[in-house]
Amino acid sequence: MIIQSIAFYIFAGIIIASAIMVISAKNPVHSVLFLILAFFNGAGLFVLVGAEFLAMIMVIVYVGAVAVLFMFVVMMLDINFVELRQGFLQYLPIGLLIGLILLVELILILSSQFEDPQILAVSSLPIPPIEEVENTKALGNVLYTKYIYLFQSGGLILLTAMIGAIVLTLRSRPGIKKQVIAKQVSRKREDSVEIKKVTPGAGV
Amino acid sequence: MLYISIVFLPGLAALTAGVFSRILGHGFVMFITSLSVSISSILSFYVFLKLIFSHKIINENITILEWINSGDLSFSWSIMVDTLTIVMFVVVTSVSALVHWYSFGYMKKDPHKARFFTYLSLFTFAMLMLVSSDNFVQLFFGWEGVGLCSYLLIGFWFKKPSANAAAIKAFIVNRVGDFGFALGIMAIFLFFNSVTYENVFNQAVNFEGKKFLFLSMNLDILTVITMLLFIGAMGKSAQFLLHTWLPDAMEGPTPVSALIHAATMVTAGVFMVVRCSPLFEYAPFTLNFITLTGAITAFFAASVAIVQNDIKRVIAYSTCSQLGYMFIAVGLSAYSAAIFHLFTHAFFKALLFLASGSVIHAVSDEQDMRKMGGLYTLLPITYLMVWIGSLALAGIPIFSGFFSKDLIIEIAYAGSSSISNFAFWMALFAAFLTAFYSWRLIFMTFHGKTRIEKSVMSHVHEAPFSMSIPMILLAMGAIFSGILCVGVMTGHHNSEFWGNSLFVLAGRDLIEAAHDLHFSLKILPVIISILGILLAWYFYIYKINIPKIIANANQPLYLFLLNKWYFDEMYNYLIVNPSRWLGYFLWKKGDETVIDGIGPDGFSAMINGISKKIALLQSGLLYHYAFVMLAGVVLFVSWFLLV
Amino acid sequence: MQYNDVPNFLPALPEIFMSVICMVLLIFGVFKGNKSTYLISWLVILSLFLTSLFCILGPKDEIIFSNIFIVDDFSIFSKVLIIIGAIAALAMSLSYIRNEGMEKFEYPILIMLSTLGMMMMVSANDLISLYVGLELQSLALYVLAAFKRDTLKSSEAGLKYFVLGALSSGMLLYGASLIYGFSGTTNFETIQAMFDSNNEPSLGIIVGIVFIISAMAFKVSAVPFHMWTPDVYEGSTTSVTAFLSMAPKVAAMALFIRLVYVPFYGLVPEWQQVVILISAASMVIGSLAAIRQTNIKRLMAYSSIGHMGFALLGLSAGTQQGVESVLIYMFIYLFMNIGVFVVILSMRVNGVMVENINDLSGLGKNNPFLAIIFGILMFSLAGIPPLAGFFGKFYVFLAAVDSGLYILCVIGVISSVIGAFYYLRIVKIMYFDDPVDIFEKPNSASMISLLSISGIFTIFFIVAPTPLISWAHHAASSIIQ
Repeated sequence: MIIQSIAFYIFAGIIIASAIMVISAKNPVHSVLFLILAFFNGAGLFVLVGAEFLAMIMVIVYVGAVAVLFMFVVMMLDINFVELRQGFLQYLPIGLLIGLILLVELILILSSQFEDPQILAVSSLPIPPIEEVENTKALGNVLYTKYIYLFQSGGLILLTAMIGAIVLTLRSRPGIKKQVIAKQVSRKREDSVEIKKVTPGAGV
Repeated sequence: MLYISIVFLPGLAALTAGVFSRILGHGFVMFITSLSVSISSILSFYVFLKLIFSHKIINENITILEWINSGDLSFSWSIMVDTLTIVMFVVVTSVSALVHWYSFGYMKKDPHKARFFTYLSLFTFAMLMLVSSDNFVQLFFGWEGVGLCSYLLIGFWFKKPSANAAAIKAFIVNRVGDFGFALGIMAIFLFFNSVTYENVFNQAVNFEGKKFLFLSMNLDILTVITMLLFIGAMGKSAQFLLHTWLPDAMEGPTPVSALIHAATMVTAGVFMVVRCSPLFEYAPFTLNFITLTGAITAFFAASVAIVQNDIKRVIAYSTCSQLGYMFIAVGLSAYSAAIFHLFTHAFFKALLFLASGSVIHAVSDEQDMRKMGGLYTLLPITYLMVWIGSLALAGIPIFSGFFSKDLIIEIAYAGSSSISNFAFWMALFAAFLTAFYSWRLIFMTFHGKTRIEKSVMSHVHEAPFSMSIPMILLAMGAIFSGILCVGVMTGHHNSEFWGNSLFVLAGRDLIEAAHDLHFSLKILPVIISILGILLAWYFYIYKINIPKIIANANQPLYLFLLNKWYFDEMYNYLIVNPSRWLGYFLWKKGDETVIDGIGPDGFSAMINGISKKIALLQSGLLYHYAFVMLAGVVLFVSWFLLV
Repeated sequence: MQYNDVPNFLPALPEIFMSVICMVLLIFGVFKGNKSTYLISWLVILSLFLTSLFCILGPKDEIIFSNIFIVDDFSIFSKVLIIIGAIAALAMSLSYIRNEGMEKFEYPILIMLSTLGMMMMVSANDLISLYVGLELQSLALYVLAAFKRDTLKSSEAGLKYFVLGALSSGMLLYGASLIYGFSGTTNFETIQAMFDSNNEPSLGIIVGIVFIISAMAFKVSAVPFHMWTPDVYEGSTTSVTAFLSMAPKVAAMALFIRLVYVPFYGLVPEWQQVVILISAASMVIGSLAAIRQTNIKRLMAYSSIGHMGFALLGLSAGTQQGVESVLIYMFIYLFMNIGVFVVILSMRVNGVMVENINDLSGLGKNNPFLAIIFGILMFSLAGIPPLAGFFGKFYVFLAAVDSGLYILCVIGVISSVIGAFYYLRIVKIMYFDDPVDIFEKPNSASMISLLSISGIFTIFFIVAPTPLISWAHHAASSIIQ
């Protein structure tokens, strides 16, 4: 137990620290790197509670795909972040004040009581013990049955996001050369090559 | 269906005429309104004759539609038909129909004929609504409806400032009465929990002598209610103190004066009190007050009439005086006599008005009798009409007024109280004055040397048929309505005729006593009237300079009468000027300085300032917006943590 | 644990039907290209109409998908209203998007997806399904707001909306996780059952509610979460603004109602305080800030902030009557907005859209039909009897007064008076100012008929208010046990 606790605090501490760094680092590339660090530690927390599937997904999707994509975007865009941060110090005091108040209030909440534990036991679905059903299988069991509605709705959200991305970015530029495989394949020799008899010494 | 058509034909005609007058044209509008009122009048007569000859009491209540149904307050649009209603139907529709036809000639040259006829029909409808109501609210609706039409018609010639002023005066003075009336209706609802006649009248006996506490005064419930109602009647029927609007209302076209200010609307007060007889019977104080008011009015108006020079004003004061007679009868519980007088009066007074209208028409809209005279050869029919009307008014035998007016005087004599005694002497004296001013009118207008200017004289012409035929028909009524109906309406078996529509407490009925009076008393009013006629002849034919001598000798009295007892001046001094001053003060100081300064102007300036500040908040910067959101959340969370 | 039985899909038929149609039309559009926008729009309208029929005729009072999807009278009422808003917004924008050169087949499909999200929102019976629906509708709306991607304003509007929307989603999730953490469940009915007995709720729950209410307030654009509204309304293309001001408002308000009246019904005194503050601030800011606006779309943004304040006034009553009044209010508000936006979409001079209030001057002479209906709608929005808008306000005030919220009502009446100023100013500009430019006539029959429907509803609502009231009554009684 003690090891688990120590691990939890290490992971949690690193998450908070790297999250602060994400927003305070001057170099945007550093920000993204700290974000990746936060993701990794998040995955560690998942492992701690026995959700190894989620931990893997976290690493693969967030670190492997999302963060790397961020990195590309950050590196390819030429944005002067220093300029964007102008006024940061100007608003810092009041922003900090509000943030601190919120923090204190949220800490205060921790002291409050949980609702009746009995209802808690009834209402939440018992998680099958990891020895009986492994994590991936447990998820698979409910994903297409109990949570089919949410799963499909999630699909719709992704579809919408995709449509949105296409609508807002796809442009049909005239005059651009595109590779059309069918056209390439169906080309005949006669279309592109013309054989001319050249009489030697006569020139073309 | 019959009754519905009687009531709604004029209403429909007014609606059609009002909405489509531009499309349909003047002629059609005039025709359609007159025709529908005439049909309604013929139907009324049919019902009336059926009532007389069948000896069956009609008592029907037709609900048109539910109006308000809210808790205890529940009543309908309905037509309640009983004897009283039918008598009123006859009076209203027949006079209205004749006035409609008369107006064909009278209003011939007016460019707004269509509007005039629309108002007339609308008035008829409102009046029929009033008399056929089965609850106080519909009564009030009709009451205000006729008031509105009266206002519109008095001010019909809206380009004349005096007409506008008269219209406003009539409206405002009526408002005083209506305020009392409305309070009375509210009081009825307060105590009786209902506004339908049936419920209220059935409960009335339970409230006899009951008191309630108001401003630490112990007041009798029924007395308060009936007094409030009677204040309304005083306004509408131009009784003493609230009479000032009626003479001024003569600014309206003469047919209007005949219909509204002689035959129908002004009698609505009498009708209302008679309708509410089951309430008034239990309020003896109010009845005495009514008698007193009626007696004073009868005398006062007659006294003013003898010195007025405007032909229509003389008749207007005469109307006022005759209404006083009706209230005398009402106050003495002789409701049948009051309605009978209302019935006959409608005919002869409308006749007098129409005849005077004919005179005015003939002399190019001149109303001052000092500028008339010697017209009888030129206007023979009109002259005859005025004679018939005056004879009826003065109560000369055979003519209708004799039966109705003299009956009231007899009833006043038969009454035993000091109030009725007072009323008797007042009525008797007023009868003398009535005869006097009627013949003063005849002599000044038709006899003697003409005082008309030459240019006008050449245009003088007798009324066209459209005007003379309605007058002749009214003259029939003025002559025969008394002799034909006296038996039915006030005879020994009158209760069979009236059925439940009138209510007299046992022992208060004076009609029988009046019938049994000695012959000498019965003939007394006639003699008095004849004396009045003779005196008028002596003053205005025989010795023309006598009036002037008397007037000069009694200058203060003459001026007192000429200025109508200085009522207008008194009201101006006591009410109009202070309220005008108060209004001016509130306008300049109260409204413009205080309220506008602090209120609208100051407030709008403040709002504008705040609005400017709020608009500045909208900076367009994303992090400002996000910050405001977070600040909002923090605010709410803190609210819960701290409160 | 095995799930062998097939779940009951029938109550979700409208949603399933819509998502299938969405995908079919998407493929159709991809193949046919942007030329097919017009056809797809009409197909979307048709299928939305069919969906509303499914909603009305389908089964009700069912909870499916393991208690996370509910169909009751309330959700049906809201869904029908949402669909009406979506159909109207789409129908009025048909000629507009063609004229503006933004004829893309994704436009109607995004509207349909957003509508689908809204319907999922109002049927949510669980914090998770609530969030999923909310995200679906928001995501589609973000894209729509930025739809005219070549103009700076539109992109800016889309971005602002997206960032702030993400912030509000974060708040919602934070609140939801607090609720879940302290109660151990995300199901509405289970949460409700916890607060039935009069035990003191824990602070964590209350803070969670505050966060969720804040997110809801963002969606209905209530003060202080309203800041995005004027910028997004102004920046988006007008047809999108029309859509934004109708269906999403109804959906968010319906979700708001369900949230506070189902899971947190036992905590009325707690959330009531927050809603009262939000309502009062919205009414005041909405009416005050609108006075100085010159852009009609910004004006309508503040107008909608103010109107949401009035709707929240009814919501804060905490009674069934309150729910009823909010539903009636939203219904009337939606119908009035249809007409208003038809007129705004007709503000086209020489082929260019104009958005200034002063451009309306002289409309009374140039286009009497448009002007009279717009004038009536302005009177109605200001809440002048006997028009429909008056009754909307009347019922919310009635509900609030019956709950004893007198001070809030006084604030409401005062802001309503201030608000009347800028509505009437438009009428004044239309009828008493000298004409500047003549608008092109609204060239589509659909716009004219929408305008007429809106006008007729506004004028004649007084004649037969009973069907709506009794419908709202059924809907309200279905969520309050």
